[in-house]
Amino acid sequence: MGLSRREFIKRTAALTAASCAGVSLTLPQAEEAQAFDADEWVRGSCRLCGVGCRVELGVKNGRPVALRGVPDSKTNFGYLCMKGMLFYKLMGHPDRLTKPLYRKSKKDKFKEISWDEALDIAAREFAKAVKTHGSDSVAYYGSGQALTEETYLFQKVMRGGLRTNNVEGNPRLCMASAVGGYLTSFGADEPIGSYADIEQATCFFLIGSNMAEAHPVLFRRVMRRKLDNKDAVKVINADPRISPTSRVADLHLQFEPGTDLALLNAMAYVIIEEGLYDEKFIGQYTTFRMGKKEEVSFEEYRSFLRDYTPERAAAICKGNITPDKIRTAARWFAKSNATMSMWTMGINQRKRGVWANNLIHNLHIITGQLMKPGADSFSLTGQPNACGGVREGGGLCHILPGHRLVKKDKLRHQVEDLWGIPRGRIPAKPGYHTMAMFTAVNQGKIKAIWINCTSPAQSLPNADLYRKGMAREDLFMVVTDIFPTKTTELANLVLPTAFHFEKTGVYGCTERRSQLTWKAVDPPGEAKPEVWIVREWALRLAKELDDPVIAKCVAPFVGKEEQYELPEAIWNEYTQKLTKGRDNDLRGATYRVLRQRPDGVQWPAPTEEWALKGGTYKKFVRGMDPLADEHAKDEKPYQFYGPAHPDKKLWIWLRPHKGPEEMPDAEFPFYLSTGRVIDQWHTASMTGRIPELMRANPYAYVEVNPRDAKRLGISPGDMILVESRRGRNLLPAKVYEGPVEGMVFVYWYDQHEDRLINRVTKDAFDPGSKEPEFKICACRIKRVSGPKVLKPYLASITT
Amino acid sequence: MVMALTPAAGVQGSLLDSPVGVNLLRPPGAVEEELFPAKCIRCGRCVEVCPYRSIVPLDARYGVHAGTPAVFVAKIPCYLCMKCVEVCPTGTLRRIALKETRMGLAEIDKHVCVTWRDEGLCRTCYNVCPLKEEAIKLDELRPYIVEEACTGCGICVHGCPVAGERGRKAVNIHPIYSTRQGRG
Repeated sequence: MGLSRREFIKRTAALTAASCAGVSLTLPQAEEAQAFDADEWVRGSCRLCGVGCRVELGVKNGRPVALRGVPDSKTNFGYLCMKGMLFYKLMGHPDRLTKPLYRKSKKDKFKEISWDEALDIAAREFAKAVKTHGSDSVAYYGSGQALTEETYLFQKVMRGGLRTNNVEGNPRLCMASAVGGYLTSFGADEPIGSYADIEQATCFFLIGSNMAEAHPVLFRRVMRRKLDNKDAVKVINADPRISPTSRVADLHLQFEPGTDLALLNAMAYVIIEEGLYDEKFIGQYTTFRMGKKEEVSFEEYRSFLRDYTPERAAAICKGNITPDKIRTAARWFAKSNATMSMWTMGINQRKRGVWANNLIHNLHIITGQLMKPGADSFSLTGQPNACGGVREGGGLCHILPGHRLVKKDKLRHQVEDLWGIPRGRIPAKPGYHTMAMFTAVNQGKIKAIWINCTSPAQSLPNADLYRKGMAREDLFMVVTDIFPTKTTELANLVLPTAFHFEKTGVYGCTERRSQLTWKAVDPPGEAKPEVWIVREWALRLAKELDDPVIAKCVAPFVGKEEQYELPEAIWNEYTQKLTKGRDNDLRGATYRVLRQRPDGVQWPAPTEEWALKGGTYKKFVRGMDPLADEHAKDEKPYQFYGPAHPDKKLWIWLRPHKGPEEMPDAEFPFYLSTGRVIDQWHTASMTGRIPELMRANPYAYVEVNPRDAKRLGISPGDMILVESRRGRNLLPAKVYEGPVEGMVFVYWYDQHEDRLINRVTKDAFDPGSKEPEFKICACRIKRVSGPKVLKPYLASITT
Repeated sequence: MVMALTPAAGVQGSLLDSPVGVNLLRPPGAVEEELFPAKCIRCGRCVEVCPYRSIVPLDARYGVHAGTPAVFVAKIPCYLCMKCVEVCPTGTLRRIALKETRMGLAEIDKHVCVTWRDEGLCRTCYNVCPLKEEAIKLDELRPYIVEEACTGCGICVHGCPVAGERGRKAVNIHPIYSTRQGRG
C-alpha cells in the first residue's frame, strides 16, 4: 500500500468529518441496572474466587439484572469485588455455548447436533475405549468450579461404573500441596480455624500470596484489622514481588524466588534459640518427624535448625533479606497474642510445596499459635469449590468422597458398600495425577477424556507439550463448558452447560463452609446442568458396555427433575451416606438448612441442630467442635482426631531447604513467575467477557524491575520477548518496582498465543503433592520493539 | 471514525470554542487553549507517532479546531510514552518530561465510585495508574488523587469499571490546566 499512515490520517480526518454531518448521535447510556429494579433476589455464593462471598442475584422478568452482597454473611459482610458484582452479565452473553457441537476429526469444523446424538457419541466413544484398551484408557478431568454434586456424580460413575480412578481436576494445580501439608502436619485436611480469626489476630504472616488482588474481599478484613489497630497489629509480607498486598505490611521480606524454605527454617531457628517456643504445647500435643515412621527428639530438631542461622539464611535468600529482618519476623510471629498465617500459590506451586506448607505449620505448632482465637495456619484457595467439591467430594485420583484414601481397602470397601456396588469394583490403585494424566494423553495411553469446566490447554504448565497430546486424532475429547476456550479448540464434542444461578448446587469455600446456590434463571438455548448430562451419559454407557452396575451408580437419581430435585438427591446421598463418621461430616447441612442460613454451614456439622447455628468455627477444640468431644481420649482441651495421624498428634517436620527445579543461568538469566490481577480471573473465559473488567486489563504484561529495565534498555510499553527452554511469549513491558531484581512476572489470564504464559512455564512438580512448580522457572528477556497496538483476544468456536 | 462519533462537551457552542472538556483532552505538553488552534498546523505528526492511537484529529464539527489533536481518554487514554512531544514541529506540544505532563486532573466522583459508596471493593484506578502510589493512593482501601502528581493521562478513566451518568466514569479527568487562567 502506497499510503503512509500519516497520509491516511489526514484523509480520514476529512472523510470522517464529512460522514458525520447529519448523523444523529446518541450519548452512551449507563447500562448499569439499579439495585432496586429487581422483582426478586435469589441467594447464592459468588462464582469466582475461593473466598465464598454470599451474593444475591436480582432477577427481573426472568432475566438477571444485578448482583449484591449479603450483609449478614460472615464471609463478606455484604462486600463484593467488581468480579462479584458483574458476573451476572455472563448469563445472557452472546458467546454462550447453546447447542451440543461435534466433529469426528479435530481438523473438521464443528456441527450442531442434538443432545440425543451427543450423549450417544460420548457413551459410544468411552465404551469403545474401555472395551479395546481397558478401564484406565478413559479419564475425567474436572474443576474446583464444578458444583459438589457434579464432581461427586462424575467420580462415582468413573470409579464405580467405569472402574477407573482416573479422576482428576485443576485443584491439583493449585492446592494439592496445601492438602499434603495439612495431612502431614495436622493429620487432617483443611484449615483448623476460620476467617473469623482475622478479627482476633495481632500478627499476620502473609507469604506467597497476593491476597489484595486474588482474594480482595477477604483482604479487606485484614486491612481493616490492621488499620483499626495500627500499633497493636503487625503485618509481615514475604514475597519476591512487591504487590498491592505488601502495602499494608510493616515488614516486607523480599527474597529471591525459591528460597522460602530457608527463610521459614531460619524463623524457626530464631524461635528455638531465643526460647520463644511454647514448651507446654509442644510437650502435650506434638512429635518431631524426619519421615512418616521416623520420630526424632526436640534436640535433633534443634541441631537440624543450626544449618539455618539468620546469617546463613539471609545469604541464601538474598533480595532485601537481612539477619535482623528474619529475627524481627520470628519475634513478631512468636510473641504476638495470636498469629495468623495465610498463603496461596507462592507456597503451593513449588517443587517442594508440601515441605513449604509443613514449615509454615511448624512455626505455628512450636509457638502454640494455634487453636486459640486469632491464631491459625490458614491456606487460602483460589477456586470457589476446590475444597468442597474436589478435596471433600473425591475429585482427585487418590481420594474418595469424605477424605478417604483410595489405597486403604477398608475405606474403599466402605464406599462400595454405601453405593451398593460389588466390592472390588473401585480399583485399589490410584489413577493418574494431573501431570501423569496429560503425559498419558501424550503417549496415547488415554483414548477418551472428559474435561469439565476448566481449560487445561491454557492452564497446564509447559502448555504446548500437552496441547500436542490433546490434539491427537486417536484421543476422543469431550469438553463441558459455558464459553469457547483454548481447550474447546481441541475437542471432538463440546457440550453446553448451565452457568451459576442457572442450576442448583453447593460450593464449599476455603474455611470448610458449604453454601447453596439456588437456580434463579433459565440457561440459554439447550444448555443443561452437568448432573443431568452425567446421569444420561451413564445410562447410555450401561447399555453400551452391557453393565448394570453403571446403571446402578445413577439409579437413585433416575426420573428426578434436574433443576432442584436431582442435585438435592445427589447432595443427600453424598452427605448422609458418605460423610457420616468422617471428619467433614455434613449430615446437618441439608438443603433445608442451607436455605435458611445466611452464609452456609461449616463442617463438622453432624446434626441439623448444630448446622443451623452455622456449624464449627474451629476444629479440634472441645466444646467448639462436636467431633472433638466425640473422639476425646483424655481431658485435654484439644483433640487432634484427624484420620492421617494414628498417634493423634501434630507433627513438626524436619524439612531441609531445597531450591527450585530450574535455576537461572548464563543462557536464561531471569526467574519467571506468574500470577493474577484483580479484575481478571483464571483463564479469563468469564472475566474477559465482561467489558468493564476487560477494559482495565485487556492483555497481559511482563513486569520488569526498573533496574533490570534500565540495564536492558526497556521502556514502559516496549514489546518484550520472554523465552524459556520450552516456549516463548511476546508481551508489552510494565516497568515497575514489583518483582525483585533478576525476576520478571507475567499475568496468566491472557488467551492470545503470543501472551499465553504457560507456554513458557515449567512442568516440574512436587513429588509429594504432584503439584507443578508454576511459580518458578528460568527465562531470558529481550526488547523487540517499541509499543504496539494490541487487541484483546478470546478463543472462539467456528461451526 | 468511532472516536469522532462521540460528541464533545462543547460541540453545541460556537465553532471557536475550545473542544477540550471532561475526558476530552489535548496531548501532553499542549500550550494553552487560547493559543492552540493558531499554533498547531494540523500536520498529524503527533497522531501518526502515537503507538497506541490515543491521539486523534478532531473532525469538522469542532470548527476552527478541526484537525487539531485530542485524546478521548475514556476510549484510549494517553500511556505517556512522550513520543508526540518529540515530533511536534511548532512547539504546540512542548518537550516536557513524563512527570511534568498536566493534561488535566483526575477527580473521583465519590457518589458514583462503588468503593466510596461502600458497596464494593474496587481499586482498578489505583492498579492501572502509571504513577501508582504517587498520583493515586489508597486511604483505607479507598482511592484518592494526589493533585501534585496526577498527569491527567486518563488511564484510570479508561480502566474504571463503573458507568456513571452521561457516559462519565467514577473517575474523570478535568482539563483544569488547559486555559491561561487555569495555569495561573
